[in-house]
Amino acid sequence: MSDLLRILVSPAAWLACFSAIYGLSGIVCAAGPGAAVADGSGPRMVLVIAFLLAVLLQVGLLALVWSARFGAEPGLVRVVSRISAVTGLVATVWTLFPVLAASACL
Amino acid sequence: MTALARHRRLSAAWASGPGWKGWFSTVNHSDVGRMFLVTAFFYFLVGGILAMLIRAQLATPHSAFAGPGIYSQIFTMHGTIMMFLFAIPAIEGMAIYLLPKMLGTRDLAYPRLTAYGYWCYFFGGAMLLVSLLFGIAPDGGWFMYPPLTGRIHSPGINTDFWLIGITFVEISAICAAVEFTVSILKYRAPGMSLARMPIFAWYMLVVSLMILTGFPPLILGSILLELERAFGMPFFQVELGGDSLLWQHLFWLFGHPEVYIIFLPAAGVVSTVLPVMASTTLIGYRWVVAAAVALAILSFGLWVHHMFTTGIPHMGLAFFSAASTLVAVPTAVQVFAWIGTMWKGTPRLHLPMLHILGFFVTFVIGGLTGVMVAVVPFDWQVHDTAFVTAHLHYVLFGGFVFPILAGIYYWLPLASGRRRFFRLGNVAFALIFIGFHVTFLAMHWVGLMGQRRRISTYAPEDGWTAINLISSVGGFVLAFGLVIVLIEIVLHLVVPRRSRRNPWGAGTLEWAVPMPPPAYNFASLPRVTSREPLADDPDLGVRLARGEGYLGDARGGLRETLMVDIATGEPEQHVVYPANTRLPLVMAAVTGVFFLSLLLKLYWLTPLALAGVAVLGWRWVWQLGSDTDLGCQPVGHGLALASASETDRPPGWWGSAFLLVANATLFGSLLFGYAFLWTVAPGWPPAAFMEPSLLVLVAAPAGAALAVAGIALAVRRNRIGGDPTAALLAALAGALCLAGAFALLLAGAPHPTGHAYGATLWVLGCYGLVHALLVALMLAFLLARQRAGYVSRSRRAELAIVPVWTGYLAVVTALILAAVYLPGFAA
Amino acid sequence: MLDPAGPAAHSIARLWWVMLIGSTAIFALVMLLLALAWRPARAGATEAAAERTWIMGLGLAFPVAVLLVLLGYGLWLGERLLPRAGPDVARVAAVARQWSWTFSYDEAPGRTTDGVLHIPAGRPVDVAITTRDVIHSFWVPRLAGKLDAIPGHVNVLRIEADTPGSYAGLSAEFSGHGYEDHSFTVIAHAPDDWQAFLEDGQ
Ligand code: HEM
Repeated sequence: MSDLLRILVSPAAWLACFSAIYGLSGIVCAAGPGAAVADGSGPRMVLVIAFLLAVLLQVGLLALVWSARFGAEPGLVRVVSRISAVTGLVATVWTLFPVLAASACL
Repeated sequence: MTALARHRRLSAAWASGPGWKGWFSTVNHSDVGRMFLVTAFFYFLVGGILAMLIRAQLATPHSAFAGPGIYSQIFTMHGTIMMFLFAIPAIEGMAIYLLPKMLGTRDLAYPRLTAYGYWCYFFGGAMLLVSLLFGIAPDGGWFMYPPLTGRIHSPGINTDFWLIGITFVEISAICAAVEFTVSILKYRAPGMSLARMPIFAWYMLVVSLMILTGFPPLILGSILLELERAFGMPFFQVELGGDSLLWQHLFWLFGHPEVYIIFLPAAGVVSTVLPVMASTTLIGYRWVVAAAVALAILSFGLWVHHMFTTGIPHMGLAFFSAASTLVAVPTAVQVFAWIGTMWKGTPRLHLPMLHILGFFVTFVIGGLTGVMVAVVPFDWQVHDTAFVTAHLHYVLFGGFVFPILAGIYYWLPLASGRRRFFRLGNVAFALIFIGFHVTFLAMHWVGLMGQRRRISTYAPEDGWTAINLISSVGGFVLAFGLVIVLIEIVLHLVVPRRSRRNPWGAGTLEWAVPMPPPAYNFASLPRVTSREPLADDPDLGVRLARGEGYLGDARGGLRETLMVDIATGEPEQHVVYPANTRLPLVMAAVTGVFFLSLLLKLYWLTPLALAGVAVLGWRWVWQLGSDTDLGCQPVGHGLALASASETDRPPGWWGSAFLLVANATLFGSLLFGYAFLWTVAPGWPPAAFMEPSLLVLVAAPAGAALAVAGIALAVRRNRIGGDPTAALLAALAGALCLAGAFALLLAGAPHPTGHAYGATLWVLGCYGLVHALLVALMLAFLLARQRAGYVSRSRRAELAIVPVWTGYLAVVTALILAAVYLPGFAA
Repeated sequence: MLDPAGPAAHSIARLWWVMLIGSTAIFALVMLLLALAWRPARAGATEAAAERTWIMGLGLAFPVAVLLVLLGYGLWLGERLLPRAGPDVARVAAVARQWSWTFSYDEAPGRTTDGVLHIPAGRPVDVAITTRDVIHSFWVPRLAGKLDAIPGHVNVLRIEADTPGSYAGLSAEFSGHGYEDHSFTVIAHAPDDWQAFLEDGQ
């Protein structure tokens, strides 16, 4: 089971953060009119900070999965869990970067 | 003992009953797998006939072939049958049949559950078929958007058939998923570590976890919509605090993973068959495993791309557009790993390979159009046009039907022990391939010209006449090809021409099984030292038949197998399976009565059916275990293992754990729905929040704590040889107290038909109540078993399972109380 | 949508042609690689080398590069098509029901039309879309993409017609028996005609 966990943890964390930040963007828009999320505004900053936290979490998981202490023994599971950890990080950056660029509430 | 004598003894233990009557009581995976496949292909035929009706209708403008009413039923049922009654069951059947053979074991983890799943599928499918025959079939499109499917706009029984029938069928998918997960993790040949697992097993492991987390949102959605239709609980009615978008979220939360649930097993087939066809091994096995995992999880973050035109803000769309493009990367990894494998080996153009080539051409196009519709502005144009229908067929037909046909031609000799007789397959392939591309390339084009999906007819002035006619002709060519496949398979089964063993020269264990496979698969279980045991030792099959592996002495007419450690595959426990029984059939029939009572609104019958299910469930579990201590069992090669009933992690523990994963997803979806309505639905907040009740706030946590502590104490007492009865009684009292608290909570809740808030509270309360009663039932069962002498200091397995459920109950209780009362506190 | 008559539809049509050309090239490449697998005997690459070429190179780097560009293009385009506030934006409202459309005009309060939407040509128009019953979708294929009419929500779609004329509009979400005939017409007026429409209804 711990092997399964090593493989799944990073992408699953991506899924959780991704859904949470999507939800957050909805809440931010529900709270105020569209213009309130202009660049540099408070709500936009909330989203950006959430994004950075998500990236940080992925970096942390990556380090854990890679570490001698929590990582898997050499072999298939080690390779697959490392690829998964990188996938989680890349997915977080790739899918959530719109918080930096896109219009939030239009 | 000679091989023949061993075969006789094993067959006596494992064979299903003689003749057709044997089908009703068989629990053997080879039988049930075949029954699944035959039924699934029957539905493929039905779905295909409906597709022909669609194409006939659209072939000419102003077609009067079917009116809009009937036509809606036709396309809705085509989509529904293909997705729920053909694709998913075909995968289940294939995996049920193959997995134990590939994993080097004798059956799946829970044979009776396999059969129960089949019968649920059988009865649920029959319900939908009946609706089709009587012309009262669902007609809201396969994704059933309310409010069109709500009570006001669809007052008939049509929609209820969908909601209830599909939920019934879904049970079989959940059963199969639990079964596959536990089987792949725990039921393998000794020595088969994770790294030595056949790639198909990895794919199925990933798919099973996806089913466990992907299907519950749809089950929840169906329950909520049916509650709205039957009892007026307004989850999707905007005037009363509901929101129709909630359905879309729940549906696509299921619907997108579903597409990958269909594709990944097919990719597993390609990963298995293609290397054999190229006489080599798959390159980048580790990368392919990682790609399957990545694909699986990414696919859960795509659901909103089916909702790009619902007015979600652009940032939200951008998230999902990005995720939808990203998902193409692991797909590309697999595609190029396969092509690289062909470069590495020397590909041969056997029939399975032809279908794999068909898969490549079709699926790559489908993938490319998929990336196109992931680009938001483009989707704004083509959404809900024939372009999207064409795209989805490229992915589903290309990514599923072609690989499945490849798999069927590949494994048919294994299942029948025969060679193909006529060479009709190549003609059939050509017709299917050409017919398919003519049909659906044309549909892309007409979609770009503005033809919407789901229209029953169009006018000559639209200028689509010629393209549609071409598309229809292609459709009939395709259908003709499929009919030839069917004829060929029937001929194959009638004309006896014996095949030699392992005709393709494959390396995986299913080819070490005698052809056709006996009910017990392996006369003795192999020890595995590599990923391709048969390549290392081509005579493995003979040696196993001679009893040189584990469990070769066929003791006492028992159906024996081994459970192994997840990571290393070292043997851990000795398992004895239950034998043939009609219990699964009866249980499914009674489950069917439950669903039927809801469909026909015979609500007096519902509690009776539920009681019937509980009684049968009690019997089901009662048949397991032993009333004497068995001690360690010899399994061969000097090894002796504990019996499953004398361990802390019996099969039932694993099954419970993964079933609870699905259950927790259902509960999570419910909380999501609550939060969604709260933030998005226009009619919120409700007029008043529920007042917290002090009595509930005391009784519920006290009951939950008592249940958890009681069962923990019972386990402890039993371990030191004491009598657990008193502790079990305390736990039972706790569970009943908790049930009472939930009943009280429901009594104080606002009326469920007034506002979606009240309706949600009501569902939350019922969820808690049902689980408290379920745990109480389990504890009562334990007490009865204890009294009947099935529990002892060493036979502790049953005591080990219930804490999983009580723990879950306690967590859920805390969450329900918070969800129900916190708003009232805050207000 | 292959015969665009407004800026949004133009840019989406261009997007389509770009993607079609790109996909055709990628498809041809994959098919070529597939065909080359049948070349007669060749020197076998090592497992590691094969992984590098096929998985790291073609499987990862190649799609990542292509998709990043495409994603960027798509998001940039999407941003440009949003209904941003502006001085010359005309506002209208569309209300769908089974199976008809009613339109009203911010610039002529009280005026409604059934089945025909009047807009000024050459000016961006924001259509506020909602529905009285089930879900529908507002789609004028030659002018722009579609947007759904969802009960209880108002969605705003930006459309614009380059030149005066009449354009077919469709409802593009299945809505029951009357679905195939659930259509409307958009009439784009030259500035003078638009003024005339606003003032006296024709
Ligand atoms: C046997 C060949 C097949 C043909 C000729 C065919 C044809 C069609 C056509 C013409 C439509 C469009 C109806 C419309 O919206 O105007 C359609 C819809 C659909 N098809 Fe197929 N199909 C075939 C096989 C499949 C398979 C194998 C699957 C899935 C595994 C499938 C799944 C669907 C779905 C989900 C829809 C959408 C239904 C809806 O709009 O509610 N089809 N099919």
